[in-house]
Amino acid sequence: MHYVIVGNGVAGTTAALAIRKRHKPKHAKITLIGDESDYFFSRTALMYAYMDRLTRQDLEPFERKVYARQAIDLVRERVVDIDAASQTLALGSGKSLSYDKLLLATGAKPRMMPFQGVEKVKEGIVHFVSIQDLDECERLTWSTNQATVIGGGLIGVELAECFHHHKLDVTFLVREPYFWPMALGEEEGSLVSEHIRARGVDLRHDEQLEFMEADAQGRIASISTNQGNKLACQMLAVCIGVGADTAWLKQATSAPRIERGICVNRAFETSLANVYAAGDCAEIDMGSAGHRIETIWYSAKLHGELAAKSMMGDTITYEPPIFYNSSKFFEIEFTTVGEVINVPEGTHALYRKAPGKFITQRIAFDAQRVLGFNMLGSRWDHTVLMRWIAERRDIDYVREHLHEAQFDVEFGRAKLHQMEEKEVVS
Amino acid sequence: MRQKGTVGWLKHDVTNRGVTAWLLFGALLGFYLILYYGGREIAGWHVPDVLESAARLVHLPSKWTLYGLIYTLAVTGGGIYVIQKYRHNRYQIIRTLVVIFVQATFAFSLPWILAIFEQPEYYFSYLWPLKIDYFYPSNILAMPLPFVLYSLLGSLLMVPLLGIFYGKRWYCSWVCGCGGLANTAGEPFRHLTSKTSASWRFEKWSIHITLGLCLFTTALVVASFGVGDRYPQFTQAAVSVQSVYGFVVMSILSGIIGVALYPIGGTRVWCRNFCPMAAMLGLIQKFGRYRIRVKDDMCISCGMCTKYCEMGIDVRAYAQKNQDFVRASCVGCGLCAEVCPRGVLRLENRWHKDPQELTMATLLNEAYKG
Ligand SMILES: Cc1cc2nc3c(=O)[nH]c(=O)nc-3n(C[C@H](O)[C@H](O)[C@H](O)COP(=O)(O)OP(=O)(O)OC[C@H]3O[C@@H](n4cnc5c(N)ncnc54)[C@H](O)[C@@H]3O)c2cc1C
Ligand code: SF4
Repeated sequence: MHYVIVGNGVAGTTAALAIRKRHKPKHAKITLIGDESDYFFSRTALMYAYMDRLTRQDLEPFERKVYARQAIDLVRERVVDIDAASQTLALGSGKSLSYDKLLLATGAKPRMMPFQGVEKVKEGIVHFVSIQDLDECERLTWSTNQATVIGGGLIGVELAECFHHHKLDVTFLVREPYFWPMALGEEEGSLVSEHIRARGVDLRHDEQLEFMEADAQGRIASISTNQGNKLACQMLAVCIGVGADTAWLKQATSAPRIERGICVNRAFETSLANVYAAGDCAEIDMGSAGHRIETIWYSAKLHGELAAKSMMGDTITYEPPIFYNSSKFFEIEFTTVGEVINVPEGTHALYRKAPGKFITQRIAFDAQRVLGFNMLGSRWDHTVLMRWIAERRDIDYVREHLHEAQFDVEFGRAKLHQMEEKEVVS
Repeated sequence: MRQKGTVGWLKHDVTNRGVTAWLLFGALLGFYLILYYGGREIAGWHVPDVLESAARLVHLPSKWTLYGLIYTLAVTGGGIYVIQKYRHNRYQIIRTLVVIFVQATFAFSLPWILAIFEQPEYYFSYLWPLKIDYFYPSNILAMPLPFVLYSLLGSLLMVPLLGIFYGKRWYCSWVCGCGGLANTAGEPFRHLTSKTSASWRFEKWSIHITLGLCLFTTALVVASFGVGDRYPQFTQAAVSVQSVYGFVVMSILSGIIGVALYPIGGTRVWCRNFCPMAAMLGLIQKFGRYRIRVKDDMCISCGMCTKYCEMGIDVRAYAQKNQDFVRASCVGCGLCAEVCPRGVLRLENRWHKDPQELTMATLLNEAYKG
């Protein structure tokens, strides 16, 4: 049996290791193909490489000899075509490769918009998703005084921090009225904005890019916004989200069904026989619950694990676990569990803030139980918070036991009893 | 266009094994040679005793006092830097304050004060097996009784007990001067420690061999004292073993290699690979309460914890497998927990984990029907 995995990101690599855990090399040949880097690296740590806290090799979660030890063949190539009838792949170098089971774990690409003037810019527009993006950012930093970041999501704020670290003058355009309304309440969102501004970043809300201009060499020179401001910049970071990279698949000899991502059922099977998809590129049909695209590390890891089982013949019915995620806005750590913002109108939430410090908690609840947590500025054990949601604990119980979920360093526990508290209705 | 961008530690010459790092290594090596061998001959070369003269110049009793002063200043200065760098982390602040305090008092001013009262030179912050001579009978006989009691009870009772309850860290990163210097002035070099599995294998051998040598030497010296003059050859042998141990372990490994190698091999070369105290505490720690707890399924495999571990532990390997762990070498400096951007790690002292009826793993296992 030849398992071929396209994409050596976390989904693909996890799948490869999961297959090897069950099948010895003589029963399963595993080929892991990736076009971006020789070895699997942690995409989530790109910012630490940019800020010079980690080298390129530090980003790799496994020692390089692991692949040889696990008999996983690494191939640095781009896959350009799939022929499902003959079960073969065509590689960029012209070679072809046959498979018995194929996993597409091709991840996501940065989204781009046809901004006015973009066609004249040859240099200076960056994204921050791949190793090549990192190379480009590093190359350009030295000749940059002012940088503009557009898009108030997680990657945008990470990149703003990197630019700030390199002492560039950073303008950060976020079209929403406060930081990240998709995930944060207005109070916390505004606090994050304040915090980012206090670090010296020129964060502007309700402001969007209208058009851009290049200098004589084609390097970006300025952007103009819908507020009529013209901002000089030598780097423009476009961080307006990511989307599955499916352009090449659509033109393949046999293309699987594609909508926003590669469509799969709850067993990670695509519309093509023996072809599976997992990670950022997968769009999972959850039946009555609609289609689902999950673009976070944890789900990619879980998808990889489950898709591997599915490929090995197990019966899999994917049921997403209670949502959780974490992030960091400059120094402020953020943990979210369950649903806090995406809740029916009229849902109550307990909002707590430490006086004079950026430590907040927001706990959404209804009459029966708590629904979700948004915790900023201190550390939390999300497994405890998840358990409370799963156990359908009510808000009184959670309020009383909240300290049990704290995860701060020794001597550094946030003082929960000193927090100001109010109830808000969404 | 004005040049922008900063050069971080990983690219800076001093902290990335560049030319200046090697020069610094050479300078430190020279310093320790002169310190230990000033006024003596090595291989026919008379080492100038400049440190002794320097000490006289500033009216200090000896070069050792001068060395103590420099050491204390380095720990204090580095400590202030570390406290300001990690000012949001109370574990780091308190730990560093204790390190500075212990260095300034027990390791520096107290022996000086003792000297004023015509008491023998004694360091309360050092114990056998690190300070091997505190178990040498000749030394014991020369010390006042309270000091001897402290030495014996300290090494045989206090060290193991505290090790069981708080792990190795109470000593290695709160009290010890070697660890103290590493965690203060050594801060910019902490990432240089090798993280390879090969270095791990080396450490396992080297540190336990040194512990063995230390036990052997102590036993031999005590035995030779017991047999007294009856077997002069045995006594002779014990004396030579004692001096070889003193030369190889105490001077070369702990002083010269231990500190001079900071810019090349990272801060804890001595602590990780050779210190007999660390070896003993490490074995104790494996059976004690101390552990690093890992929050399940929260690790993003970024590698910050591994990179900044000064003991060369691949923390990420445990974190990404949801594995709580304790490694014998872990000194509990807490930097992995500090640098982790997702708050995955926590140092803890407890016999058992919280009972979790519904763990993350079961939650995930219930999430699909396989
Ligand atoms: C800067 C940044 C920070 C992030 N931080 C977080 C975070 O803090 N927490 C979190 O949960 N998530 C975070 N994410 C999201 C997370 O990194 C992704 O969800 C995760 O990496 C997805 O993994 P994947 O295996 O699906 O895809 P990827 O990691 O994208 O891997 C896919 C690989 O396949 C390769 N590939 C694609 N097409 C082909 C082809 N045709 N032939 C060969 N190879 C191909 C790609 O080049 C790529 O290397 C972050 C993402 C970015 C960009
Ligand atoms: S620093 Fe934290 S998130 Fe990064 S690898 Fe270590 S435990 Fe995982």
